Amino acid sequence: MATHFDTHDEHYHPPGLQHHFEDMKQQQESDSIGMWLFLVQEIMFFGGLFTVYLVFRSQYPMAFAAGSNHLNWWLGAANTLVLIVSSLTMALAVHYAQLGKRNLQVVLIILTMIFGAVFLGVKAVEYTDKYHEGIVPVSGLNLKTEKSHEKIRSPRELNSQTGRDDPRESLRIPVGEKNEGGAEHGGEHHYSNLRGEFQWTDTSLAVHAQEEGFLTNSEKIGYFAGGELNADKFRDKVRIFFWIYFAMTGLHALHMIIGLALMSWLLWKAWRGSYTGEYYAPVEMAGLYWHFVDIVWIFLFPLLYLLGRHFGGGH
Amino acid sequence: MDDKDLRHQPDQNSEHHSDDENHIVSLPLYMMVFGVLVVGTILTVAVAFIDLDHIFPGANTLVALSIAFFKMTCVVLIFMHVRWSSRLIWLMAIAGFFWLAIMFAFTMQDYLTRSSGTFTG
Repeated sequence: MATHFDTHDEHYHPPGLQHHFEDMKQQQESDSIGMWLFLVQEIMFFGGLFTVYLVFRSQYPMAFAAGSNHLNWWLGAANTLVLIVSSLTMALAVHYAQLGKRNLQVVLIILTMIFGAVFLGVKAVEYTDKYHEGIVPVSGLNLKTEKSHEKIRSPRELNSQTGRDDPRESLRIPVGEKNEGGAEHGGEHHYSNLRGEFQWTDTSLAVHAQEEGFLTNSEKIGYFAGGELNADKFRDKVRIFFWIYFAMTGLHALHMIIGLALMSWLLWKAWRGSYTGEYYAPVEMAGLYWHFVDIVWIFLFPLLYLLGRHFGGGH
Repeated sequence: MDDKDLRHQPDQNSEHHSDDENHIVSLPLYMMVFGVLVVGTILTVAVAFIDLDHIFPGANTLVALSIAFFKMTCVVLIFMHVRWSSRLIWLMAIAGFFWLAIMFAFTMQDYLTRSSGTFTG
């Protein structure tokens, strides 16, 4: 390349060029490499969770299918479409940054932020549903419902309503006991839940797999006690699914929030007209990040929401 | 500042107009990728409700992941401009997934080869 000894007094110098770079091309290349390095480590960051998913799903496929069928697939699908649209608007924002069109850039960044916010809103609705249904895997983080009065008999059970956490008590109180009135089919949770425990009683998919004879070895150990299907043991495996669901979607949502913060900053800069056809690297790098987060969701959606739909049941 | 096309200002390295200089993707191509992503999503949902596991166990998951992989490839190549990027960027994108594959493979070669032991309920 040509000789360039800090000669910007003499010839045209692009406004966005940092002094330690030879020219814009070299600077752009370095920006991209840095961003891709970051994204590669992000792949490994999410990859750890995908590995956890892989291991546990291969061990307990039916518990995963049962938990997955309980998620609202239409909300997941709607959110997938929302993210895809936001990816398009982001790509177009980069496009118009490349063309140096400030107004379109600003509009598209705002649109991207709106769709990102819609995604997080839907996610919040889903999390709230889980809270109301008693399937948040953390004890105490579910909606605490009172026991219907005719069922309260022992003073110990009354004590537990004070909310004091005595581990010895929790061993004796039948948490998640099913109310009379029968809610056999999955999804309907008519339980009392004094302590906000994780609750799950639907073992139909495990029964199905047992009848059809495709239980894995780990499932034969993991769901059964004394040769009988054990609802509590099955529940604990479904709970693993919901741990993974919340960890993965939670980490993804965190990335969305960071993405929105990034977009706010970008919006401010774009509003001030900082990006021209020659210098738009921040828009492009934010775009790479946004698309990466979209890609993670492209995989999360079928893996979390759709994995057991073909077994029937659910809703 | 108004809408100005600053791209056509003098450019000091216009002598090498080769592979990866500020390639501007055409709008129809963006729209096409968008269409593919939407159709892929609808297809993913539709296929999930059909029982393909009768063909072979795990067929449903395989189809779902294949569609997801195809969607990802579209996003990476077009939206993320890797298609017009340097070899080094290609290398990084591929290396990321290669290392991920190593993590999956080495983990599963352990878990899938464990015997169930003597704990049979």
